[in-house]
Formats: sequence, structure tokens, C-alpha cells
Amino acid sequence: MPLTFIEIEKQKNWRIGLLFIVLLFLYFCVTLALIQGFYFVFLNPVFLLRGINWAYLLIIMAFSFMFATIHFLFSAVGAVGSVMRHLGATLPDPEDGIHKRLMNIMDEIHVVTGNKRNIKCMVIPSLSMNALAVADLNGEAAVMITEGLLSRLTRDQLEAVMAHEAYHILSGDCLETTVAASFFGMYASMLEKIKDLGEENGRGFHPAFLFFRILLKLSQILNMFISREREYRADAASVRMTRNPLSMAEALHLISRNWTGVGFIGNGLEMLCIVSPQAAALDESEGWWADLMSTHPPIRKRMGILLNMASTNIAELDAKLNQKTETTNMQRSAEPVYYALDPKQQWQGPFSIADLSSLPWLSPLTWIKSGSEQAIERAWRNPLIDPIFIASLSRQESEISDFVCPHCNQPLIKISYEKTRAYQCRFCSGILVGTDKIPRIIARREVPCTDRLKSLAKAVLSDNQRKTTINKLRGIDAKTKSFLPCPKCKHAMFRTFYSSAYLVEIDRCGICGLAWFDADELEILQCLIENKITLRVGISPA
Amino acid sequence: MAILLLILISVLIAGLAVFILWTIFIYNQLVSLRNEVQNAWKQIDVQLKRRHDLIPNLVSIVKGAMEFEQDTLEKVVSARTRAVAATKPQEKAAAENMLTQALGKLFAVVESYPQLKSNENIMQLQEELTTTENRIGFARQLYNDLVANFRTKLEIFPNNIIASLFSFQREEYYSAAEADKAVPAADISIRKT
Repeated sequence: MPLTFIEIEKQKNWRIGLLFIVLLFLYFCVTLALIQGFYFVFLNPVFLLRGINWAYLLIIMAFSFMFATIHFLFSAVGAVGSVMRHLGATLPDPEDGIHKRLMNIMDEIHVVTGNKRNIKCMVIPSLSMNALAVADLNGEAAVMITEGLLSRLTRDQLEAVMAHEAYHILSGDCLETTVAASFFGMYASMLEKIKDLGEENGRGFHPAFLFFRILLKLSQILNMFISREREYRADAASVRMTRNPLSMAEALHLISRNWTGVGFIGNGLEMLCIVSPQAAALDESEGWWADLMSTHPPIRKRMGILLNMASTNIAELDAKLNQKTETTNMQRSAEPVYYALDPKQQWQGPFSIADLSSLPWLSPLTWIKSGSEQAIERAWRNPLIDPIFIASLSRQESEISDFVCPHCNQPLIKISYEKTRAYQCRFCSGILVGTDKIPRIIARREVPCTDRLKSLAKAVLSDNQRKTTINKLRGIDAKTKSFLPCPKCKHAMFRTFYSSAYLVEIDRCGICGLAWFDADELEILQCLIENKITLRVGISPA
Repeated sequence: MAILLLILISVLIAGLAVFILWTIFIYNQLVSLRNEVQNAWKQIDVQLKRRHDLIPNLVSIVKGAMEFEQDTLEKVVSARTRAVAATKPQEKAAAENMLTQALGKLFAVVESYPQLKSNENIMQLQEELTTTENRIGFARQLYNDLVANFRTKLEIFPNNIIASLFSFQREEYYSAAEADKAVPAADISIRKT
């Protein structure tokens, strides 16, 4: 008959309480063993034979307890801030959908725990899969979760993990861990010093400290045992809160298959994590030795308990998750994949259609290469990718016109430019206006002429002046060269300078009376005229 | 003899003092538990109010795209109106259950509209409603857990003597409607209680 989460919690509660008292008692024994060791080495070797002096023992204990408390206060005050800085954790971004979900889940945990304590949630910028809870004496408490874990878990799984971590805070596990670390950490480093000194002197480890060493090891083992019991209890508490043992088991299963953050989440924090980041083989072994020497219980054992509550078993869960992975893989293999040339001219991919639609830099003019073919084409020419742009336009609140961008082949949207009706391409930022409206646009000065536009205008003017001179010398007339299709009638437009004074090239349709300006061209023309920018050097066109 | 009497009186006084202290302790414990239960009940109302506030937004976003599902939308709107207007606990519970069902149907319908499913506003709103439904579920769960705890403290011996002395009443559990116990037909990621 499997235990219920209530029975597990009760059982672990009294066991942890009792063991913690034993641990504190061991602390005094360790202190005493250390003092005796020093006494034996430096002062009076027959002290032990004289019997126990209780007053002396009490003074030693009072002092050691005082030192340990001071150490604890120093480590426990501001612990959240120092762990946060160490791991680079930040508060979740409310604009981000996944982070927003995390914040909502944290609020749900507050509701189910009766708002007993305000717990912050934080995100660690790491691809590893782990989560940890920290609390300090300033009253701060936080559950920190890696981006890797946050992105891969479902809502229910994430809720189970957050409930597990929140329970570590609410039950005082975090502070207890800090207490134990403070009490025994000092002695562990002292033992190392004694060992080093012995080796330097060539005498080896002094036998007077043997008892101290054994007791310290015993306390460390006991501490790890308590840590394992805490994990079982937090799993049970997570089920009590979410009533969903299956999701907790699935989350553990998923975490165990991925990188848990070894090297990223350092020593000392491993007891605070949902699974040990150290990834030692011992962690997953069973048996008394593994039980004694690891901070976390084997994941399969934890999963076994949780799955018992859900009336299923590990084999069934494995089969279910493998089937899900196979289905996802089959769906993925059936989908076409693409590579896209990013703005830095680097090929990126492979991307599915869904991946492509979420790329912020994808535009109809992006070069695309299909995974199975070597041919390269513009994104808008691909019939499977083109609907992405239509969908993105329909999501915007702008009014779509009947004109089509000559570059991107996408509908232009209606805009008001210098309070005049114009049409703009949302992707390449080109603007279409009636040729009769150009003078009034140029006359108005609402669009500011920035420094960037000014320098761009000078560069364009200089380049066009040079090209004009060369063409004149060669006897070529640029006006006759056909270029882009008209956004309205689709006939080829002719590309010409706006005027011989202002050498900015624009595309005009003689049939429809429309002029097409590529991105920045209209602003550059306005800027040239507004600031009277003309070239003073070069060969006169005449 | 006088010493014996003195000892007897002292024991009686000490016993009485222990009894009074124990009574005070039990009484205070029961009072704080009762307050926790009442607070948990109010928390359910807070979450229900949150749900009522979200529904007008949801309706305004989906109504344009769901021309042929006006009936589903109307049911949501009328269920909300009834839930907001209900004053008696039983009436309120019935109205809220109806609203839960209406919302469930609405989201099942949304699933069949691809343009709605991919709409960012709808996705955000769906997340907000999912979290609200979860919070309502969790608030009810907390309430029932506290009621169970309160009832246990009230009924165990010798607490039951103090409880009857000071007229402490048993709080009632929140029980799910029969319709809610049925397995939902479509997965809409909304928790049922």
C-alpha cells in the first residue's frame, strides 16, 4: 500500500525534526572533540583522565555556539541577494509570455499556501535544467529557476516544481541548510588546515584530532541524510498543493535527462536545488552507501513514490514520454526545414515554418534556402513562407490597401505622411505617393531631418553626382532604364532623378501617376531641399 | 494536617491555573483557526471577482471573429451577469458553476478558430483566465483544507468541551457541483474543482 502525501509529510516532519536535534548535539560533540584535540597536543595530555569538568564544558559550548551564531547571522543576512548576484538571476520580464506564466504560477502558489510568505520568483540565464530556493534573515525569499527549465516544462510541471521549491522556503528548510552550513562549514575548513599543517611538517595527520575528524564526517553524513529527507517531504508537499503527482514525476524525469547545471551552480548551493547539479554517478545509485553520501535521493526513487500516488509506474511513464517524443520527432521530420540569411549575412537554421514566423528579422526580402534543395530565393517567393507576412500584417491594426510593394510583393498599408495620404510597406519601409502630392510633402516640415538623414543625403548626392557624370560622359540616359513594377498597374516604372538639382532617384509610373520611394529616399529628398544641400564640386551636368 | 490542607489547596490552585491556561490556549487556537477559515472563504470571492472582470475583455476580443457562435458568447455573458448579481451562497455557487461551464465551452470553440488561437491578445487572455481558474481552484482547496483542520480541532477530545462551551460551530466544506465532477470534453487548460 503506497503512502499518501499526507503520511509522507508527517513521517518526514518528525524524522527531520529529530535528526536536526541530533545534528545540533553532534555540533557540540565536534566542538568538544576539537578542543580536546588542541588540549592534547599543546597543553595537558592527561586532561581526559581527570574526569569531566562541567563548568569548563559549558563555557566551551557557549563560546562555540556564539561563534556559530555570528557566522550564521553573517551568512544568512542578505543570502538572497548574494545568490542572485552569483547566478546572475533577474526578476521575470512581464512582457515575455513564458516569464508572465511563471509570475502567474507564483501567484497561484501564494494563493494555495494562504499567502503565508511573500516569495519572489527569479530567472537564471542558463540553459541548464534546475531550480533552487533561497531565504534569508532580511525576510527575503526567492525561488530561482533556469531559463532552460522554464522553457521546457509544461504549465502543470512548472507549477509542481515551483510548489516544491516554495515549500522549502515555507518549511524553513532554506534557513536550516544555512544553519548547518554555518555550524559545520567552519570546522570543515579548520580540519583542512590541520591536515595541511600536518603534511607541511611531514608528520601527517595528528591522531589527537582523529575523534574530531570522525565526528565531523558523521555530522556531514547526517546533514546529507536530512537533505534527502527534505527532498522527499518537499515532493509530498508539492503534491499536497497541486494535487498533481504525475506532473511532478514528469518534471523530475525531464530534468534527469538533461544538463542540471554542473559548473554553473556551484558547491554549497546544491542542497538548495531540486536535483543535485553535481551529476555524480552516486546520486542515481541506490543502496546504503549512496544513501549516505549524496545530498539528493535518486530521482527514480522519488519518481517511484510520486507515480505510486498517481497509480502508475515508471515503465508506463517512460513509454508515454517516449511515445510523445516520437510523435513530436515524426511531426518535425515531416515538416520542411529552411535556412535563412540573417542581417549579418550568416546562414541560420534549420527552421520550421513556425520557427521562421517567430524570427524578428525575417522579411519578404530575406534569402531562404530549403533544407532539401540548394536553390536560394527571396522569402516572399516561397508559397509556404509568404503567408507568414500576410498573417503578420493582418495582426496589425493598420488599414491594408490594394497596392503591392514592388520589392516585397506584400500589400501596402495606408499611412498619413506629412498629413497626406501615402502607402507604406511594413517590411522594407518604402513609400508610395501620388506624383502630384510630392511638392506639398516637400513643403511641409513635420518629419525631422536628423543628423543621420543629413549625412545620408550628402552621401547619396555625392554618389549620384558621380554616376551622372560618368553616364553623361558615356552618353547613357538612365531615364529609360526599366526597374520595378508599378504597385498599382504592374507595368515597369522608370527610375529617374527627382530633379537635376536634387539628385535623388525615384521610381515613377507614367500611367498611374504614382511615385515609389525606397526606404529613406523621401526623407532624404525633404532633407536636401529643406537644408539646401547641393554639391559644389564636380563636373556640371550641362 | 494544616500542611496537608495547604498542599491540597496549592495543588488545586495549580490545577485550576493549568486548566484556565489550557482553556485560553485552546480557545485562542480555535478562534485563530476560525478566522483563517473565514479569510480563506473571502479569498475565493477575490478570485471570483478577478474572473468576472476578465470576461468583458474576452468577449470583446472574440466576438468579431466568432460570428457564428453568438449563442456561446451570450451564454458566457449571461452567466457572468448572474454570477455578479447572485447574493446567497447557494445561488452564487450555482451561477459560478454555470460560468465555469460556459467558459469551458467558449474555449473549446476558440480552439476551432485558427485566427483566434494564434491571436496574441487571446493567448494572453487565455493565460490570464487559466491562472484565474487555477487560483479559484487553489483558494477553494485551501478553504477545504482549513475547514478539515478546524473540524478536527473542534471535534477531538477535550477540545470539543471548550468548543461547546463557547458555541463554536462547524464550518461547511465547499463541494463541487455534480457537473464539475465530469471529465471535461476538451483540454482547455483550465483547472476544475
